[in-house]
Amino acid sequence: MKILGKITITICGLLLLFFTSDFPDWGDVNSPASTHLSPYFIEHTIEDTAVPNIVTSVLADYRGYDTMFETTVILTAGLACFLLLRIPRKDSIHRYYRHEPTGVTIRVEGDRYPKGSNVFTRIDSSWVPYDLIINFTCRLLIHFIQLFALYVVAHGHHSPGGGFQGGVLLGASVILFAISGNLRAAIKRFGEKTAAILSSTGVFIYAGAGALCLFIGEQFLNYSALGPLLGTDRIMARSHGILIVEIGVAMAVMAVMIWIYYNLSSAGKQDEGL
Amino acid sequence: MTSNLPALVIIVPLLASLVAAGAGWFNRKAPFYIAVIALLISFISSVLLLAQVVATGVAIEYQMAGWPAPVGIVYVIDHLSAMVLVVITFVAFVNLIGNRQAVETEFKNKEGAFNALYVLFTAGLVGMTATGDAFNLYVLLEIASLSGYALIGLGSSRAPLATLNYLFLGTIGATFYLLGVGYLYIATGSLNMADLATIIPSMMNSSTILFAFIICLTGLLVKMAIFPVHGWLPGAYSESSTVSAGLIAPLTTKVTIYIMVRICLTLFTPEYTFGYIDPTDIMVAIAVASIIFGSLSALAQKDFKRMLSYIIIAEVGYMVGGFFLGNRMGVSGAILHIVNDAAMTLALFMAAGIFIWKTGDEKQSSLKGLYAKMPFTMAGFTLAALSVVGVPPTCGFFSKWYLISGGIAAGQYLFVGALIFSSLINAVLFFRIFEIALFEPFKSHHHAGDEEDKVESHHGETIVDPGVIESAQQYSGSDSHDHGAIVIKEPPLPMLVPFLGVCVLLLILGLYSGSIVNNIIHFAIPAGII
Repeated sequence: MKILGKITITICGLLLLFFTSDFPDWGDVNSPASTHLSPYFIEHTIEDTAVPNIVTSVLADYRGYDTMFETTVILTAGLACFLLLRIPRKDSIHRYYRHEPTGVTIRVEGDRYPKGSNVFTRIDSSWVPYDLIINFTCRLLIHFIQLFALYVVAHGHHSPGGGFQGGVLLGASVILFAISGNLRAAIKRFGEKTAAILSSTGVFIYAGAGALCLFIGEQFLNYSALGPLLGTDRIMARSHGILIVEIGVAMAVMAVMIWIYYNLSSAGKQDEGL
Repeated sequence: MTSNLPALVIIVPLLASLVAAGAGWFNRKAPFYIAVIALLISFISSVLLLAQVVATGVAIEYQMAGWPAPVGIVYVIDHLSAMVLVVITFVAFVNLIGNRQAVETEFKNKEGAFNALYVLFTAGLVGMTATGDAFNLYVLLEIASLSGYALIGLGSSRAPLATLNYLFLGTIGATFYLLGVGYLYIATGSLNMADLATIIPSMMNSSTILFAFIICLTGLLVKMAIFPVHGWLPGAYSESSTVSAGLIAPLTTKVTIYIMVRICLTLFTPEYTFGYIDPTDIMVAIAVASIIFGSLSALAQKDFKRMLSYIIIAEVGYMVGGFFLGNRMGVSGAILHIVNDAAMTLALFMAAGIFIWKTGDEKQSSLKGLYAKMPFTMAGFTLAALSVVGVPPTCGFFSKWYLISGGIAAGQYLFVGALIFSSLINAVLFFRIFEIALFEPFKSHHHAGDEEDKVESHHGETIVDPGVIESAQQYSGSDSHDHGAIVIKEPPLPMLVPFLGVCVLLLILGLYSGSIVNNIIHFAIPAGII
């Protein structure tokens, strides 16, 4: 069976290689891909959408409908992880607490947990000692990561970047916090419910902006319709529309990254984990 | 608003799924109703679209974001896509209202996520059907696949493994399709189907186009689970929960076949598909293998849902074979069978849901005596089963008629033989169940009569249902195990009425199949195919 698989893969690979022989050369200006549609985008992006970054305008305006569903794919992944992995916390299992003044670790069973006590701190069962250097470095980094993420989101019009990249950076900052400290501390600051609701809200901003255009009387996602609402002309409204949906994308991507991390790292219990 | 119908048919489910996912955190009942309302609106929109297309005879084009065809993404609603849209939204709507109880018990505390994924899956299929852009199709395929994996993954204890299998094969299929689209883009520089159809005839001899065709088709064949690459289907459909299987089993394979038809006819033009490549012999051979394999494997199954899964593989063979016959009869039969098979599979999976609700497991042997216990349900089930066998005047007969006539016209007698063989096997399969359910006495899982109202669901919780139709009837047989009364106990009305509605629909579809073919399918097939 293994050999059969290897043979199939080899044949597929050879076929792929063979059929590349007909391809146009790298960077060929006369290839169909660079003569059919690309000239339109290169020549008309500024006058159509007032966005200097052609990639952003194709991504979020000309083919914005695709991007909306790509964002939805990410949300679907978050929902799928939640549906399949999330299991309610079982309170019957034991937990570990450290008595701060003495440094003694105790094991508590049942639900006689020392809640609200400030001398006992909960520690993970596979507890790793507190590492000052890692913790301090991460805490220092997180602010800058988040600031940079906001820059990436806001400057998608002019430079490489946009909602997806910015959202991943924002999500990574929270995940970094969870990795450097512990999962419970992260969940306390950025709860599961927040993550879940933000992820739907993010996509809702995107799809809702599109639906708003539809209700104003233009096609779905035709941001020009938002001109009167935003107080700009129809062309500039497209540029602003792109920013609105980028913010939605960033929100959704950030929340889904965090939500998936919570579920994966704790095997769905969201009690203790990485 | 009517000019926006092509957008509404997908946007309403999309927005509703977002609202449902959020609302699930505040209210446990709200997501279900949001989903039902959204699917109803989507269904009404697609019926209006179909009416409009049939009345005017012109395809409706909708420009997303206001950009015209090759630059932006357009939706094209023609006869074929409008009809499939109605099928998708109808199946999704009816299956959800018919399975409300299952949703509440099997997805406890996750109603928000479940209903959101359910509606997203429908939205994905709707988008795949309506889109006129080859890449947009892939994006929506991703939505439908991903939400499908999630829905299927929650079921019996073996469901996650079956889903993993499905995930691997499904991803390979989708990747192949994407690779094909990439090849097309390299060769032509366009992603719009209508635009591609104007470019491709001028470059018939390009090997890039040829490979794009092969690899797109291979990807879709994996997705529709035809014989050599069917491995994921039986596990995925039989291990999942009934409500998910009832949505995914009737729709996934059928919509994939629709996409195959769309790609072959609209994107790669009939001249290219049937004229230049001419894959009839090899594809019909694969279809025949699929039909025979599916039917024989179905015969070997003890589990009801598993048996249905293998029947689906055989039915996929019907449609693929019929389409690649390449004549008008065969293609009409394949397209008509998309509609009919979706309805039949929905009816059978809803019946499976009722059986599981009643007996607590999925074995065929537990169906003993059900004709006496649930006469209405079993009447509907009989109708659905006869339709799968292909008894007139149910709808299954008419699409088979077209397929067989097409096969004879094309001279593919092996395909005709396989169709008849498969119908006979189906007859054996279902008459075996009729025999078990009609002649063997019902064995309750509980002994005493007062526990009769409590039915073990397969999760082990006891459901006491207040809304049962109950009337005691003296059982005249003497060989009964419990000598008392046999209580007629149909499932609750919200479960029974949609099921019976679908079963009646099978008759209606059969009686009106002539007008479906003449008014819709006739216009969906390009004039080049005779």
